[in-house]
Parts: sequence; structure tokens; C-alpha cells
Amino acid sequence: MRQRITYLQDPQNAVDPSTLQITKDSISRKDLKAAREERITFGFDELPQELYRVLKASHELHIRWVSEIPYESITPLVSRLSPGIHVFYTPQRGSNASDLLCPLLKKVFGEIDCMSPEESFTTLPTERFSHSTAAQYYSPLSSLGDLQTYLSHKLCPASDNACHSRVSSLSAASTLDVSFDTISHALTLSAFFPSTTSAVSISKPATSSPSRLEVGILSFETPLEPEELSLSGFLTVVGEDTKPSPTLFSFPSRHHPSTSFFTSDFLLPTGLHPTLSLSISDATPPLDDRKCTLHTHLTLPRQLFIDKYQLSDPLFLSSKNISALHYISSPVDLEAPAYTLKTWGSSALLELSPPSSSSKEWTAEIPLHLRYLPPNYGQAGKKETQIPYPILFWACTADEGSKFGVNPFDRVNLGYDGLFGPRTLFFHLSPKPEGGKLVCPLSVPVLDLDRSGLVEVGTAAVVALGFAWVVWCLVGVWRRSGFGSGKERVEGEKKAN
Amino acid sequence: MSKFFSSPFLVFSSAIALRIGLFFYGLWQDANSPMKYTDIDYYVFTDAARFTAHGHSPYDRETYRYTPLLAWMLLPTTWSSTWFSFGKVLFAVGDIVAGWLIIMVLRSSNKMSMERALKFASIWLLNPMVATISTRGSSEGLLGVIVVALLWAITQKKIVLAGFLLGFGVHFKIYPFIYAPSIIWWLDDEQLGRSKPAKEGEGSDLVSLVKNFINGPRITLTISSLLTFLSLNTLMYIIYDYPFLQHTYLHHVTRIDHRHNFSPYNTLLYLSSSIPDPSPTAIKLESLAFIPQLFLSAVALPILLAKKDLASTMLAQTFAFVAFNKVCTSQYFLWYTIFLPFYLPTSTLLSRPYLGLSAAGLWILTQALWLQQGYQLEFLGNSTFVPGLWVSSLLFFGVNVWILGIICSDIEAGTAPVITKPEQRPLRKKKEVKVKAKGKGKVSVLDIGICR
Repeated sequence: MRQRITYLQDPQNAVDPSTLQITKDSISRKDLKAAREERITFGFDELPQELYRVLKASHELHIRWVSEIPYESITPLVSRLSPGIHVFYTPQRGSNASDLLCPLLKKVFGEIDCMSPEESFTTLPTERFSHSTAAQYYSPLSSLGDLQTYLSHKLCPASDNACHSRVSSLSAASTLDVSFDTISHALTLSAFFPSTTSAVSISKPATSSPSRLEVGILSFETPLEPEELSLSGFLTVVGEDTKPSPTLFSFPSRHHPSTSFFTSDFLLPTGLHPTLSLSISDATPPLDDRKCTLHTHLTLPRQLFIDKYQLSDPLFLSSKNISALHYISSPVDLEAPAYTLKTWGSSALLELSPPSSSSKEWTAEIPLHLRYLPPNYGQAGKKETQIPYPILFWACTADEGSKFGVNPFDRVNLGYDGLFGPRTLFFHLSPKPEGGKLVCPLSVPVLDLDRSGLVEVGTAAVVALGFAWVVWCLVGVWRRSGFGSGKERVEGEKKAN
Repeated sequence: MSKFFSSPFLVFSSAIALRIGLFFYGLWQDANSPMKYTDIDYYVFTDAARFTAHGHSPYDRETYRYTPLLAWMLLPTTWSSTWFSFGKVLFAVGDIVAGWLIIMVLRSSNKMSMERALKFASIWLLNPMVATISTRGSSEGLLGVIVVALLWAITQKKIVLAGFLLGFGVHFKIYPFIYAPSIIWWLDDEQLGRSKPAKEGEGSDLVSLVKNFINGPRITLTISSLLTFLSLNTLMYIIYDYPFLQHTYLHHVTRIDHRHNFSPYNTLLYLSSSIPDPSPTAIKLESLAFIPQLFLSAVALPILLAKKDLASTMLAQTFAFVAFNKVCTSQYFLWYTIFLPFYLPTSTLLSRPYLGLSAAGLWILTQALWLQQGYQLEFLGNSTFVPGLWVSSLLFFGVNVWILGIICSDIEAGTAPVITKPEQRPLRKKKEVKVKAKGKGKVSVLDIGICR
């Protein structure tokens, strides 16, 4: 087991390393204002059996959870995803054990609507850039409570109080990534905690197995190249170092912060064709000397969808300040009710068209469509639902020749990065939700079961009555003039007269 | 006004001008507004045509639920952006041809004067709804020309052609199969101008009844229509395999996309589709829906009415089929609009204006009520499923079956004068027709909507 705990600070909060107390198995400080990333890497032999069996059948598995509660990202951990749980998965070739994945996800994360990768996952395009996983799954998930219970039971020894308290501290995490690939043959768990001021007290766990604990306190510097991020501070390997070693390093990074921000909500009334409005603080690209385009990546649970055919007309698109729909997971059924679908939903990447040379707030609108949702009781024919906040970023072309090797804070397989070329820089806009949560709520009209008691009987009765009426009319026709043309009768009457 | 209708040139020029005007207006609106004039389905057809042009299957386009023939027909739309509108021109030309065929049938079978035929054909030719639907690029109008050509061919006793059109129509859109029983039943010795069995007793036992029924034209029609239908389907199945069957035919059996529409079954279908597997013994009500629909449109109406007035019977069948269908949208109304010119001349809806106006008024009113509820749901997000949409769809259904009853009675009554005094038809007064039609004058003008 290897652990890395990184405190990330704004430069003005940087601390004097001499104020850190370092012993042979711990590091502490009275208080520290910083965000924190905790990263734990497990070897296969340290994992519970059920986890091991799923991982053995996987080529690649990335589970990414993001909290609904808005948080401030900090360099270099600036990449974003919509809140909820995302699963990016490539099964091991020839393996048929992928049936175990969904039951395990349910066991670890709680009641999520996942049946099997074949039924519930959507496929990602893998032909263009090889670093994308084969399949994707998403589910809303507001807390990590079930995961915490699972970890406490399965990973922490009963007597290890430090382990239990670290698990319970996950309640404060804003993001959690669980990553595995066959090449590294290790499972990495990393959690991000937004900036707080608190006491630092980290001790090396007293285990017999070989372990390593590294603690860093870093703040960002102005980099020399736009592709790069630069950090300075101190690193300490607990148990090996007696004093923190100063460090300054730069690395090319895919993900960068942006000073712009945005708000997203549904235009009212939503009806059955809601419009998602994106209000963006300004239209200024992050780099002047590169080609930059603004994109939004939407994660749409199955109750809503985008009609790609509607988003093909240039006039319609420009009236909404959209340039193009670049990607949508397929297939997206354009008609079926939500309750007959098994796939989780769909994701889409749209390029927006910001007004030229404007530093004012502007708006783009994404037309969506609702499916029929199941009828319900006691809610006056309404179903409250929500979609996770979209993410927005500028995608800029990096310098020819720049290589984004693996950096210590890198994050790949986010669902949208695979849709861009390998030399792309992402500048992430911060979400500023008005409702205090990173979700866009909406109310969907459904059949009100409190008032639908007569529907079956009533429909049957009315149709039967209507049918009887026509039959009665036809019986009259039959009795008077039979099946024939009616000619004989008329001629007969004539003769009689 | 009468001068206008006495000139085929004026009527057809107006019909063509109307379509040209709408066509160019559509081009203008599409080029200048984010709201498109062109029907969504037209993009489906043309996308499918593009797939076909590139050697793919038209079913690669999601929601393409038509015969590949339609995509083939629209291949020119893939040639250039100017040719993109070719399909609309094709559909509009289909409209005009259908109008011309209506006049041919009215002139020859109903022995109408040109002026009168033009007046009634104008219900189709100058109908703004018909012209709008075809210039927006909806293929429903194409069905109109196929169906009316079928009627024309059969009344001209062009049996093989009629069989081909019937098979083609059913391949195209399924529902024209309801015309098969009425045409077969209608095609008796009387229509064929053959003498009836000489002696009274001869034709009464079952064997000779059957023998009598199976006449040459009936066999020819059956074989030619089946042959057309089967060979088209075989051809398409060979080329496009299972997706052809799935999207063109099976989809209609298994579909569960019951978004709100005019059908009386709509709310019921939403309700029952959302219940996951009820007890296996429970009969699903909606699975019986085809019984009244098919009994009326394919059995009872053809047998009782087809020999009296084939064209009006086809109207009644289509009307019944649409009213009792599990899905009903306003495009389906076009299916029976094409037959109105044949039915209205002898209809009490025209001879008794109050009856006609109430029927039209209620038909529009109940539809408007539904549309208002539909608007509330679709755009304002109000849950109007029950009672609003449900009740208004039942009311609309009620009005439809009431009108259907009137049509049935009219077809029975309307035959007599047509056959006895055809030469007087253009001149007679409508009141007289009614009295004659009503036989011994027992029925008063006041008995609005009571079927006799």
C-alpha cells in the first residue's frame, strides 16, 4: 500500500516548513489552510476477493464520483465532471465475468440502476483515440455513505481507529476516483477535499506489510509555458525524512483552470421539451495565440435526451448560440418512454458559439426532450427530477511537439477527453449554481394515478358504446337493404307503385 | 364562382398555384427562420435516401419506418441542394394527379357534370391542409394518389392494374388492405355487367353461391394484388433483411411510444405500458383493440355497404380504421379526406346543412379541446393526461363514431337515386334527394344524427 497526501495551497497561504512537526512516523501542524488530495494505491493482494475478481476481468476500470455540492477546484486538480457516479470500463478481452461488475457497484455504492454492462452501459468511440475506454455508465449519486460503510467493513481492521476516521472523513470529499488498469496492476483510490483550515496530523499506519506514505505541501507558481503547470513547496516521506525537502517542478498538463464561470438551469415553463440554458460570464478565450473553442459536455440520465437530427440545421443552431453537436452516445431512442429503456442515458458534446469580442455575460440554449415517466400517486401528476450540472471548458490546441506524459496529478478517461486529439488543452469553467447544488431540477408532467381510476373502465365503455352504435346502424342497413346494391329493392318498389 | 368551377383550367391552375406558392414560401421560411416549414419526416426520408445513395440501408436512419421504395423514389434529393426539394414537388404532383383522378371517377361512375365534379374535387385540390401537408414534405398525400388510382382502376374494370395498386398500397402503408374485402365484394356480376342467374332457385345452395362468388375478376384481383405485395416484400427482404420487416411492419405491432395523440386508447396505453408485467392471467384490454377496428373496417362495412357505393364505403372504412386505431394523428385524417368528394354529393351532411354544420363543428370543437389540453401538457408542462386529454380524446371518438353512423345510413340511402335516375343528378334539388333517399318519407328533417 502506498499513500500520497498532497496539500494544495494558494500562494499567499504558503507556510514556513519549519512550523511542521516531523517525527519518525508522523507529521503534524496546528493548522493549515489548504485543499487536499489523498491517494492510496493498493496491490492486488490487499483487496477483498470480490473486488479482485471484477478487476481481474477488467482491462480498464475508472469509477469517478463527484459531489452535488459545489466546490472550488485548485491547480492542478482542475478537471471537472458532472456530479454523480461515472463508470468507464473496458472488459478484459475474452472475459465473461463482466456480469459481476454491476452487482459489485450496487454493493459498494448503493442502489444504482445498473443491470449489466451489456444492457446498462453505452459504448464510447474507441476508434479515434486509443486512450478511451469501451463503455460508459452514469448514475446520480448524492453521497458516498454506502461506500464508507463498505470500506469500513472490508478494508479497515476492526481495531484500526485511524482507518475508520479516514473513511468517515470521506463525507467531506468533493470527488473520488477509483482507477484500475491492467498495465499498472494496481488499484488507485484518490479523493479530493476542498480548501479548509484544519489541523494536520498524519501518522503512518502500523502494518506489517511494506507501505509508503508521502506528504506534500504545494502551491502553484506562474508557469513559463501555457501548456505547463508549475508547483513549489515541500515533500516529506514519513518515516524516511526527518525534515521536509523543498521542491519546485513544472509539467505539461491537459487540464487548466479558467477564470470564467457559468450558471445552468431550465427555462420555464419546461413542458415536454425543456430548454437548458447556460449563462456564461464572458466570451474571452483563455489563450489569445491559440485556436480555442468553447464546449459543453452533457450527461443526460435517460429521462431526457437530445435529438441529434434537430441539431443539424445551422440556422436553428445559431439561434441557440450553438456551433455544432460534435458527439452523442448512440443509439438514442427518440420515442421510447423512460421506463422501457435499460441504458443509463446519453452523453453529448456540443460546441458553443460565443459572441465575438465580448466580455459581457451571454447565454446558450440546449434544446432537450423529455420521455414519458412512470405514472405516480399523490404528486398531482408531477414528477420532480433533475439532471446533473453540465461541464463547460475551452478546448485549445497545444503547441506542436508538446507531450502530455503521465504527470502526478493527471486524470484521463473523463468521457470527453477521448473525443479530442491528444494535443488538446482543457480550460475548465467553474459552475456557480443558483440553487446551491450542482443539479438542474425540473418538474415533469406524468399520469396522475389518483385520478386515473376510471381510465380502463371508461375507455372500454366508450369504445364499446361507439362500436355498438355503428353496429346498430349497420344492422338497420342490413335489415332494410341487405348486402346487395339496393337496386333490386328500388326496382321492386317501383313495380309495386 | 360558378364560372370558376366550370373551367378545369382555372381550378387546376389555382390548385397548382396554391402549391407553388406554399412550396416557395416553405423554401423562404427554411432559409430564414430557425423554425422550419419542412416536416420532420421529410428529413427522415431524405436522410434515408442519402443512406441508400451511399449503398447503405435506409433503416440506418433512426425512425425510418417506411418501405425502401420511398427512399429510392427520393434518391434525386441527394443529387444537390436544389434537388433536395424534389420530394415535395413529387408529393405535390401526386396531389394534383389524385385530384384529376377524383374528377375522372366522379365523371364516369357518378355521372357528374364537369362543373359539379370540379366543385367536389376541389375539396381535395384546393384544400389548404392537403396542399400544406404535401409541400411540407409529408408522404401521406402519396397514399392519396395510390388509393384514388386504385378506385379509378377498379371502376374502370382495369383489374390487373387495380390489383397491382392494392398490393403496392398495402406494401407502402399497410392500412389499404381494408379496401381488399370491399373491392372483392363489390366486384360481382352486377358490376361486371353479366346477367344474373336466370332462375330464382338456382343460386341458393352453398356450392353454387361459392361458385357464383368466385368469378374471374375476383381471382385476377386477388392474385395480382397478392403477387405485387409478396414480390415487393420478398425483394425488400432480400435486399434489406430483417430491419425491413422490423421497421416497416413489426414496429406497428410492438411499438410502445404512445406519446399523446387523438386515439381513445392513448391514456390507457400509457397506463398499461408503465405497469411491469401484470398477472399473466389478466387480459390486457388494449390487446383487444384491433377487434372492433378490424371488424368494422375490414368486415362489416365492406359486406353491408360496398355494393351500394364503393367509394363512400372506402371512406367509411378508412374513417372507422382511423377512429378506432391505437394511434391517431392529424395526418391520418388525410387518408379519408381523399374520399370526401365521392361521399358528400349524396350526403345528408350537405343536404341538411344543420346536420352537416353540427358534425363539422363538433369534429373541430372536440379536436380543438384536445389540442388545447395537449398544448397545456406539451408546452406548459401541466399534467393534463386525466381528465383533460383522456376525456377530450373520448369525446372526439364519440363524434367520429356518430359521423360514421351517419355515413353508413347515407350510403344505404344514397344509392337509390344514383342508379334510378342518373341523368337527373346534376339538376335535382337536394331536398328531393333526401326525401327520395329516405324512402317513404317517414323520416323528418329534424331527426338529426339518428341512424335509421
